[in-house]
Amino acid sequence: MRAEKAIARARRDLLVSTILKSALIGGAALAVVSSASVNIDGTLVLAAVGIAWFVLSYRSVRGSRMAAGSPLLIASGDYEQAEMQIEAALRSFSLFRTVKLLSLHHLAVLRHAQQRWHEAAMLSRAVLGQRLGPLRELSRPSQLILAEALLELGDLQGTYAALCRLYQERLTLAEALTLLGIELDYLARLGDWERMLQGTRQKVQLAELMPTAASAQAQGLLALAAVRSGRAELARWLRRRAELLAEPSELCRRRPALAALWSA
Amino acid sequence: MADPTCEEDSPRPGDVAALLESSRVNSPAAGAGYMAGAMVILVLASLYAASRPEPAWVMLRGAAAMGMLGLLLLMAHRTWLATRGVRRERERLVAIEELLQLRRWPEAAAMLDETLSRPMRTPQGRAQALIYLGSVLSRYHRFADAAAVYEHLLETEPMDEPSAHALRLGRAMAMLRDDRLYDADRAISELRRSPQVPQSGGLALLEIYRDVKTGHPQEAVELFEQKLAVMRQQLGVRVGDAHVLAARAYDLLGRGDQAASHYLDATTLCPLEELRRRYPEVAALEGRYPPAARPAEVQP
Repeated sequence: MRAEKAIARARRDLLVSTILKSALIGGAALAVVSSASVNIDGTLVLAAVGIAWFVLSYRSVRGSRMAAGSPLLIASGDYEQAEMQIEAALRSFSLFRTVKLLSLHHLAVLRHAQQRWHEAAMLSRAVLGQRLGPLRELSRPSQLILAEALLELGDLQGTYAALCRLYQERLTLAEALTLLGIELDYLARLGDWERMLQGTRQKVQLAELMPTAASAQAQGLLALAAVRSGRAELARWLRRRAELLAEPSELCRRRPALAALWSA
Repeated sequence: MADPTCEEDSPRPGDVAALLESSRVNSPAAGAGYMAGAMVILVLASLYAASRPEPAWVMLRGAAAMGMLGLLLLMAHRTWLATRGVRRERERLVAIEELLQLRRWPEAAAMLDETLSRPMRTPQGRAQALIYLGSVLSRYHRFADAAAVYEHLLETEPMDEPSAHALRLGRAMAMLRDDRLYDADRAISELRRSPQVPQSGGLALLEIYRDVKTGHPQEAVELFEQKLAVMRQQLGVRVGDAHVLAARAYDLLGRGDQAASHYLDATTLCPLEELRRRYPEVAALEGRYPPAARPAEVQP
């Protein structure tokens, strides 16, 4: 499913569900008001509204379950199956905004994993543009995806704006780790080596908690900053740690600037 | 087996059997039957009242409608409460996971104790909390308890193959550390039948440790050389564990140069105290090979 189509569909479904919810609530209110009337049985109308709400909620829960399975599939690299689940969740009817917004977010996560940066950025922006309500905790991962996608697209200004918004949030540890990876990458592109080395000990500790590839890249970038700042011992130690975690050729393929670590 | 070097003395997780029992998930349908019954009674009362034209019956219909509205609001409130409960439970689990990652074991143990001492909201949340409990118990060297928790999860919780594989790894490691070599060997054999085997860095590390522990350094070295790439990919900085075990194996084989090289690599990745705590067998290397020096910028 193309990102534009997914966004348009989600927006349309959000509108339909809002109308339907308003109709059900309006119907219930009408039933109460007219309960004294002899012509309309308010109890029956309310029961009908309750049953309709229950049935639609049940269908929504099914959609929610479909959406819930996709992060695991993305993490295990089964992108095709994840795409199918997300598409099914986006196409299914849901009474609740959360299912549609969550599905849209999962599609952004999938595109991010597939390194389809343009679509990932577009989807994250679409999620962030919505009223998230109980899903407000989605705003941080969406901002992180947006920041990384913009960085990969070479939009340093956009990345800076997304990073600034993230600095104002209270992040979970996993989010802080992702943010550190993006921040180091961003600062390395700017050549701000001194800022990269501020709080080196904490940054190394956090890098140890990252997944292997991200950890190797973060420590490689810190090693590069140490080289550029003339801190030879620190550079050697960090470079060796990066080498023990990943092949230098693989690190240089992902971030060509790191080749400077092994060219000397 | 208590660990005399364990500096985090308290608090520790309580009685494991009691926590397994108290954390069982309550049926979410409890009370739903009463709600449905009340709904049916109200509908029947309203239908009966509809056939009577007297004002008293008309009023009863009004009351039934109000009752139905109250019931619907009550259902919505219950749903809201349940959702909030699930969200809070999820937040607690995230907090526990962070404490574990940051190695703040006593706080993690206390939170797990509190979380597991009452019924949990979802089976998935309970399974997650029990996996964390297994990690904490292993940290406190309560390996028999940790193995019991993993055993319980494997027997009672339906889970996908990668998760089951990770649990079996935890169980086998706990058995190995508890010196239950026969049980550990059986657990490893069971693991080898798993479809995850060819890509499992965790299993390779476990087998290397078994070989070092049981005095088969040649097998340990061969496995290390064969599986280093996959361990490096999957274990992150914990690949330092594999290097230190390889150093011990090379040392047992009398290949000092290679032992020194891998000891240096291991201590480049992990602090020496941490490696010693995880594998008491490697204490024999201390003083014989130089560990990596940490630069001043990263000294604690």
